[in-house]
Amino acid sequence: MTVDAILFFIVAAGAVASAVLMITGQNPVKSVLFLIVNFFCLAVLYLILHAQFIAIIQILVYAGAIMVLFLFVIMLLNLGTEEKHVDALNMKRSVAVILSCIVLFLILIAIGLPAAGTGGLPASALVNGTVETIGRDLFRQYLLPFEITSLLLLGAMVGVIVLAKKHFE
Amino acid sequence: MDLLTPHLLSIGPLLTLVAVALLVLLLESIITKSEPVSFWTSVAGLLVSIGIAVPGIAVHGSAFGGMLRTGGSANYFSIIFFICALLTIVFSRDYLKKRDSVFGEFYLLILFATVGMVLMAAAADLIIVFLGIELMSICLYVLAGFIRGSVLSNESSLKYFLLGAFATGFLLYGIALLYGSTGSTSITFLTEHFETYASSRLFLAGIGLLIVGLAFKIGAVPFHMWVPDVYQGAPTPVSGFMATGAKAAAFSIIIGLFAQRFVHGVQIGTLLAILAAASMILGNVVAIAQTNVKRMLAYSSIAHAGYMLTGLAAGNAYGRDGILFYLLAYAFMNLGAFGLISFMEQEGEKHLTFDDYAGLGTTKPFLAVLMSVFMFSLAGIPPFAGFFGKYYIFVGAVQADMTWLAIVGVLMSVVSVFYYLRLVMVMYFQDTLIGQTASYSASSAAFVVLAALILLGLGVFPSSLLAIITTLY
Amino acid sequence: MHQFVPYILLLPLIGFLVNGLFGKKIGSETAAGLIGAGVIGLAFVLAAVIVGEMAGSPAEDRKHIVTLFQWVAAGSFSVSVAYQVDQLSMLMTLVVTGVGFLIHVYSIGYMHGDPGFRRFFAYMNLFIFMMLNLVLAGNFLLMFLGWEGVGLCSFLLIGFWHDRPFDTGGYAPGTAMTTDAAKKAFIVNRIGDFGFLIAMFMIVGAFGTLNFDEVFARAPYVFEAGNATVFWITLLLFLGATGKSAQIPLFVWLPDAMAGPTPVSALIHAATMVTAGVYMIARCSILYALAPATMEIVAGVGLATALVAATIGLVQNDIKKVLAYSTVSQLGYMFLALGVGSFTGGVFHVMTHAFFKALLFLGAGSVIHAMHDEQDIQKMGGLAPVMPVTYRTFLIAALAIAGIPPLAGFFSKDEILWKAFSQGGLGYWVVGWMVAGLTAFYMFRLVSLTFGGEARWGHDKHPHESPKLMTVPLMVLAILSVVGGFIGVPESLGGSNVIERWLEPVFAPAMAKLAFVQTGHDPAEYLLMALSVLIAAGGIAGARYIYLRRASIADGIAGRFRPFYALLWNKYFIDELYDAVIVRPIAAGSDRLLWRFFDIGVIDGMVNGTAHLVRLASGSLRKLQSGNAQNYAYGFLVGIILVLGVIIFR
Repeated sequence: MTVDAILFFIVAAGAVASAVLMITGQNPVKSVLFLIVNFFCLAVLYLILHAQFIAIIQILVYAGAIMVLFLFVIMLLNLGTEEKHVDALNMKRSVAVILSCIVLFLILIAIGLPAAGTGGLPASALVNGTVETIGRDLFRQYLLPFEITSLLLLGAMVGVIVLAKKHFE
Repeated sequence: MDLLTPHLLSIGPLLTLVAVALLVLLLESIITKSEPVSFWTSVAGLLVSIGIAVPGIAVHGSAFGGMLRTGGSANYFSIIFFICALLTIVFSRDYLKKRDSVFGEFYLLILFATVGMVLMAAAADLIIVFLGIELMSICLYVLAGFIRGSVLSNESSLKYFLLGAFATGFLLYGIALLYGSTGSTSITFLTEHFETYASSRLFLAGIGLLIVGLAFKIGAVPFHMWVPDVYQGAPTPVSGFMATGAKAAAFSIIIGLFAQRFVHGVQIGTLLAILAAASMILGNVVAIAQTNVKRMLAYSSIAHAGYMLTGLAAGNAYGRDGILFYLLAYAFMNLGAFGLISFMEQEGEKHLTFDDYAGLGTTKPFLAVLMSVFMFSLAGIPPFAGFFGKYYIFVGAVQADMTWLAIVGVLMSVVSVFYYLRLVMVMYFQDTLIGQTASYSASSAAFVVLAALILLGLGVFPSSLLAIITTLY
Repeated sequence: MHQFVPYILLLPLIGFLVNGLFGKKIGSETAAGLIGAGVIGLAFVLAAVIVGEMAGSPAEDRKHIVTLFQWVAAGSFSVSVAYQVDQLSMLMTLVVTGVGFLIHVYSIGYMHGDPGFRRFFAYMNLFIFMMLNLVLAGNFLLMFLGWEGVGLCSFLLIGFWHDRPFDTGGYAPGTAMTTDAAKKAFIVNRIGDFGFLIAMFMIVGAFGTLNFDEVFARAPYVFEAGNATVFWITLLLFLGATGKSAQIPLFVWLPDAMAGPTPVSALIHAATMVTAGVYMIARCSILYALAPATMEIVAGVGLATALVAATIGLVQNDIKKVLAYSTVSQLGYMFLALGVGSFTGGVFHVMTHAFFKALLFLGAGSVIHAMHDEQDIQKMGGLAPVMPVTYRTFLIAALAIAGIPPLAGFFSKDEILWKAFSQGGLGYWVVGWMVAGLTAFYMFRLVSLTFGGEARWGHDKHPHESPKLMTVPLMVLAILSVVGGFIGVPESLGGSNVIERWLEPVFAPAMAKLAFVQTGHDPAEYLLMALSVLIAAGGIAGARYIYLRRASIADGIAGRFRPFYALLWNKYFIDELYDAVIVRPIAAGSDRLLWRFFDIGVIDGMVNGTAHLVRLASGSLRKLQSGNAQNYAYGFLVGIILVLGVIIFR
């Protein structure tokens, strides 16, 4: 096993664990903190795949900006520890877990487990992650999706204003 | 500039629509009392867009380095979306006045959602598909909750949003699996190399999850649970918009993926057939038990998703042409029906049960006749257009050796007569219990009449449309 | 002249549009009635002129296809709005427009003063338009349009007086409205349409076209006789026919359809629409000739229906119900004829039946009119001197349907019975012969109770003869009932059997396939003829004796065979059976099984109690989050498992 592979399994395990802890946590603030851990793990995974730019953006945008926003909202709403109704949710949880496990199982069958270490990264991946290549692709081949994203954000903004504005004129 | 010109011309309808949407956005921020201006701008803009899209049907091409398909089916679907948006906007104005929520932002959101739909139909790349779906969905989430004072409307919006996000996750996962197995997100590439990858489970699982994401938007069983609740709570014209425009948009992607070259392996065929049969049976049978007309139409829209999926499962030219025909006809009949319901509806989600339509044939003969036309068309009774859509789809199924599916379909459309007819019976054969009021403007009335006339026209002269449809792909 | 055929259809359509759109503006009833009846009369004249021209031209030059425009086209498959003008379709057109015209004239008198007068004529004209589409269509799709269209008009007209209660004699006692009858008719018919549609899809699959011309020409080459596909096509088409023509198992709607105004019963539910199934099978004769198994089913179902309906007709007391069951029974005869390969006999009986059954219904309408909407024959009696014209014409019709020579019914019924014997078998004949006796009996029970004996109506009623507008059509139909049979006088009686010669080219391919041995004149034919006249006379005499002289006998029989009588009175409990076996389970399935159980129950039920607890325990926002939405997500997951499962394991 290469160093990359060992690193991958450690970080991937961290990502899964932090995600589970985030969902099951009783305290919203703790949940948010686990989410940050999860984002960091993902950033490391991107790095292993030689996607430096996305790794940085992941930390800057998600772990930085969006998480701060989440924390603000939690503070403003003054959410405490979730009320105890574990009994009520127990059955729901077990149903959810069982169904999700079946889905996971089926997806695993579909994907099939490749022999360890056979894949490796394609050569192109080594240069694809740089800012230059991303920039070039984004403004050439993916110009249209890039522009559409701005429309998407505009639409979302209008929507949020419609829903959140206190008084319409 | 020379390089850009052909691109700009071929995406004319899309550009026009975006320009109109941005113009409305500007108007909203500049003018006080902007609602009438926004309304008329949107209506005029949509009419112009239709005018630009029609001649483009005959030209096939692609734009933006293979990101978009232009002309042909993309324009045909665009026209369907524009019609849906136009009817929705016109009907909404009267409706929103009743609900004290008449704001220009409504039209803006409809226009943005329509842009998303056009992108879905024109997409030649899965990235565009995803962006289009999200643009459409986000606007629809907000539109469903547009009546902010209504609990039902808020609930509708929230449910749609939560489940929609769930569905998007699977859609994206499907796209990731497709990219993982083929190394490309280009739809053209995928359809051309379908046979190469058809034996790969990873690839098929990707397709399957993509279908899951789209089946949610279509409202096919078992991804239909949200439909009745969301349609019931959303503003009535918006429910119509979701049932017609959003459904057509999701179908445009599946058709682009499979029916374009008529290949889908036995797995996808079986899968689509199961979804189709389940949707037809559940939608039609459960619709019988409904007492609320909006819920009845919601289950009916599930059933119609089933009919159209039947055409896809058949996977031949009959089935595909049938769906294309049906989607346009369905836009008119369903939006017409939802429009009439929105005329009848009163403050606080009232006047929505079958009983509220009692005796409409004598008190409001104009509305009753139109409603009957839409109901008969939905039930697939000739000479209305609904019949031919079904007819083609079922012929396609028989041709594809799926006679069992055609039998299920025809049997279920027999069942459907029961509840469509019930509304007609109530309107004509029952006495009025309470005074009915209906409020609608002249323009709304004109558009409903137009929709009914088009249904009749398409039923008597379906060839005129079919001749165009057969040239789309 | 044949190129003018589209105008035959256009005329009723114009009438419909004028009365339907501008009815209120027209104002006067006379004008609306004149337009409504006039367009049908003109259509009849035009049809007659075309037939006259056809008769003058050589036999091979009598078939034409008039194409108006291409209707549906995709790839190699195309269907046009095209009308097929030939001996069969024009004969039907004459019957539809001719009888239709008389009934329209009668309706001007019958519907006088009704607030829906104009609407009535608009619907009636639309019906004629659709019926003409059905019989003149040059392909299955156009025929289906007419097929659905007449069903729709029938629905509208049965429920015409929608505020009136209606005695079903079975389900929903005391609460049923005419609209229930209308709905029942429509839905039962849709079950038949289901068969028609599937058959149509199979025909496209087998032939790639729906044009009668091509399908029938190629059928003998595409299918071997007895081929499974052609069996299913013909059987499904027959299912369609059982719906429209009220045969077992779908005959239950027709007696209830009597809830409509009487002219409607006469036109739609006796003379024209209900014969659509017979016409359709005759039109597809070549397909049926290739499917001997279906032919046997058709004959068997026809015979069973004839017997069952005739026995029910024996005990009914509603004047229109008796006639309705009589119609079902006579339609059974027609299917018997088709089933044994006598297509001409079936069509011939369609025609004569149209005359005398329309006459019977219009006569009944005249009686009901005079008795102020009383329909119970036990409360009539002694009407003959009061209403002489109605009585005499009704009597002629009753004699005709009973099969007394030389009235019209004798020739057509005799043709059927003879073919049932010679091409079917002794069993077919025996049952058919018994039904003939039953027919004579229940018809004269009706005549005796209504017109004969003592008056059993109260002093508040003042029956009177109907106005000329109503009696003149009765007289015309009476004449037709007398002479209508002469175009089918068999050669054995020295006739030339005009109708058989006329229709011969249409059925020639089918007859060639069936290849019956022509025995020439068989002395048995005379014997059977005599026997059927005998049993008819016996039935008439028996009925007159019992109901005019010894009314106590009837009660005595009813008393002695009480269970059997109850069975007949309740129409073999078929409505109740369908209600219990089909209607209720579907309604319950929709409400409880699929909706409450599957849609709400299964998914919600997994967490039913818990979700409830949560709802009680938490605030409004949480109610939404912990409520249905999560359960819907579980449904979603189940769906994903299904999708992936199919992909992986298929």
